[in-house]
Amino acid sequence: METEEIKKRIKKVVAKVLKIDESEIADDANFIFDLGADSMQSMLLIAAFEEEFDIEMDVEKAQEVQTIEGAVEFIADYL
Amino acid sequence: MKKRIDINKKNLQNIFYPKSVAVVGTNKVRGTVPGDIFINILQTGFQGVIYPVSPREKSISGVKTYKYVIDIPDEVDLAVIVFPSSVCKLALEQCGQKGIKSVIIISAGFREVGIKGVEKEKELTEIANRYGISFIGPNCLGVINTDPVSMLNASFARGFPVEGSIAFLSQSGALCTAVLDYAQAKNIGFSKFVSFGNKADISEIELLYYLMDDPKTRVILLYLEEITDGRELMKTALEVIEKSHKPILILKSGRTEEGASAAASHTGSLAGKDEICDAAFRQAGIIRCDNIEEMFNIAIAFVYQPYPKLNRVAIITNAGGPGVLTTDATIKAGLELAKFSEKTTLALKKSLPTTANINNPVDVIGDARADRYGAAISAALKDENVDGIFVILTPQSITDIESIAHEVARVSGQFGKPVYTSFMGQADVAEGIKILEHNDIPHYILPESMCKPFRTVYDFGQYISEKKYSLTVNEYITNKRAKELIEKALRSGKKYLNELEASAVLEACQLPVAKREIAISAEEVGSLAEEAGFPVVMKIISDDIIHKFDVGGVILNINSVEEAEKAYHDITESVKKKVPGSKIQGVQVIRQVQNGMEVILGIKSDPSFGSVVMFGIGGIFVEIFRDVSFRIAPVDESTAFEMIMEIKSAGLLTGARGTKPRDIDSIAEAIVKLSSLATDCPQIKELDINPLIVLEEGSGCVIADAKMIIE
Repeated sequence: METEEIKKRIKKVVAKVLKIDESEIADDANFIFDLGADSMQSMLLIAAFEEEFDIEMDVEKAQEVQTIEGAVEFIADYL
Repeated sequence: MKKRIDINKKNLQNIFYPKSVAVVGTNKVRGTVPGDIFINILQTGFQGVIYPVSPREKSISGVKTYKYVIDIPDEVDLAVIVFPSSVCKLALEQCGQKGIKSVIIISAGFREVGIKGVEKEKELTEIANRYGISFIGPNCLGVINTDPVSMLNASFARGFPVEGSIAFLSQSGALCTAVLDYAQAKNIGFSKFVSFGNKADISEIELLYYLMDDPKTRVILLYLEEITDGRELMKTALEVIEKSHKPILILKSGRTEEGASAAASHTGSLAGKDEICDAAFRQAGIIRCDNIEEMFNIAIAFVYQPYPKLNRVAIITNAGGPGVLTTDATIKAGLELAKFSEKTTLALKKSLPTTANINNPVDVIGDARADRYGAAISAALKDENVDGIFVILTPQSITDIESIAHEVARVSGQFGKPVYTSFMGQADVAEGIKILEHNDIPHYILPESMCKPFRTVYDFGQYISEKKYSLTVNEYITNKRAKELIEKALRSGKKYLNELEASAVLEACQLPVAKREIAISAEEVGSLAEEAGFPVVMKIISDDIIHKFDVGGVILNINSVEEAEKAYHDITESVKKKVPGSKIQGVQVIRQVQNGMEVILGIKSDPSFGSVVMFGIGGIFVEIFRDVSFRIAPVDESTAFEMIMEIKSAGLLTGARGTKPRDIDSIAEAIVKLSSLATDCPQIKELDINPLIVLEEGSGCVIADAKMIIE
């Protein structure tokens, strides 16, 4: 899958889980610092990414991913 | 370049008295740390402007939020960061960009969680250094300032304490919340309340300096879990006490530890971290408390009442039993029962019934009401022989508890002398206790509990009047030869100096080492013993053996050539058997000192406080008796005398039950010289002089054995 495609789908998931407008999400946005995700939403994001991409991620490592760009790179490794 | 400690001192003013505060990472969810901190600041009546910074919320409690701290258009004095640890560095970086110099980092997940957390904490200090930021935390409850001009509650504590004169600093946030609750129930107020968590930047040192100059603070309480730089803490405490006369009370956790038992020497084994802390605090004028209750018992005595001039106490009670118990505790605490003047006795006689006891402890009898208490307290306080009063009440059917409480409060303020109270019981006396507490009369559940606070306040008053505020300066310059011997041993890879090598170092310091000869065969030992003069002691020399007695390496009372030859044989055979493969370098022959008393001197190097000296009753049972005293080196002669006199067995040295007094002067001189060696040669990890044999007064002392571990 192309990186741009992964990014687009990640942003869509993030917008849905955090209930924000997709246009507000920058490529380098930090889930917590820029988008205001709390600990529960961070867990929901991991579950939603797994569902979106039909993958099973290493949760401990996934929790260390902090940005949209980081998530793109992390998920690409599973695809 | 300005030192970090100076930068922190300056920035602390904005931590306690900010004109504007940004809460960075807050939200509108009550019951969460980020949400509650904002609400606490808002609801406590903070006198400045507050800016919530939240990536998602548009407003919180009607206050407009900002997405980033850099978006705030005005100047911000203080930032309180409540983001999760993973993004604290981003928030701190923006604080730096915004020009905020004072920060509180509440978030947990740093050094306390392991290596990854340590790295995160380092990132924070690097950012702080780069921007000249000072921060409290991370991993803390926050900061409270009750001063009406500030009214800052930058914490997630449940309540806001009343204004008072006690500053409380704590490494533990959870303890803070318990203390706040405890204090609230007792109407104890605070000036400043600080949870400083991991102290990655601002530590107790800077906070102590700040509180030294804080006009709202009269007593400083400190709960510590770890001491990073013990010497610095001592130096700071001495300076704070000298310049402000404010007492510093410390509750230091970690009183027990296993580390000491693994030490190679007696001194190492006896000088645990806790004993060293005790010694250091004492030298620095710090008052060490055993628990929170004791800490506040003492603190209220300091802030509510004047200091006693001397230690003479009058006890006024309506019950005989508690009066006797308190009398016992008073004497045990080193206080005196005041002897009333004739005038006082007459006054008491006049105002009390004939059945009352007008001597100290004064028993106003069970049916006493407020007027009788008032008359007795007043008469006693007027007496020049009385320095303070303990008032005891037991609730009886006739006792007008609240009226008595009011009367105690009314009378006690008139004479400039301390009055402490104990209204015994719980339910019936509750209202009376409240009245006392609201009138700044220290109250204690148990009457015996009045004694330690009184004694502590009295001692502190004496301490500040003696004006002994500096750490001792080295009195001797250690002989160059001693240093050379240690350095040479280290260069050759030695870590353990046996008796001969250690004795050479001590001899170079003009310490009184016993003269000794070395035999390397049974044939020559007889003549060497004869030359030394009988009786002699013979001891093994081997780098492989530290505790010679335990392996049969020492024989005493040898009185002839034949015995000496046999002893040589017995010692070497026993050592070979008990420590197979040990290298025997010879056997020492030393003239045995008669009628001496064995004491021990030692040195131990502590990672936090540096070199520590020890004195105690010596011999092979030193670890069983544990009758020892410690001080941080160097010590002067008067401190050395203190060390000698504070052990339980000091009477044995001064001449107990008809025995002749020992040469204490020579012990003190040896302690001072040893402390100089400890200061000048920090390579000494542990040193035992055991025994130092002390002769009769005027005859000196002799070092009979010594061993040293260096690194």
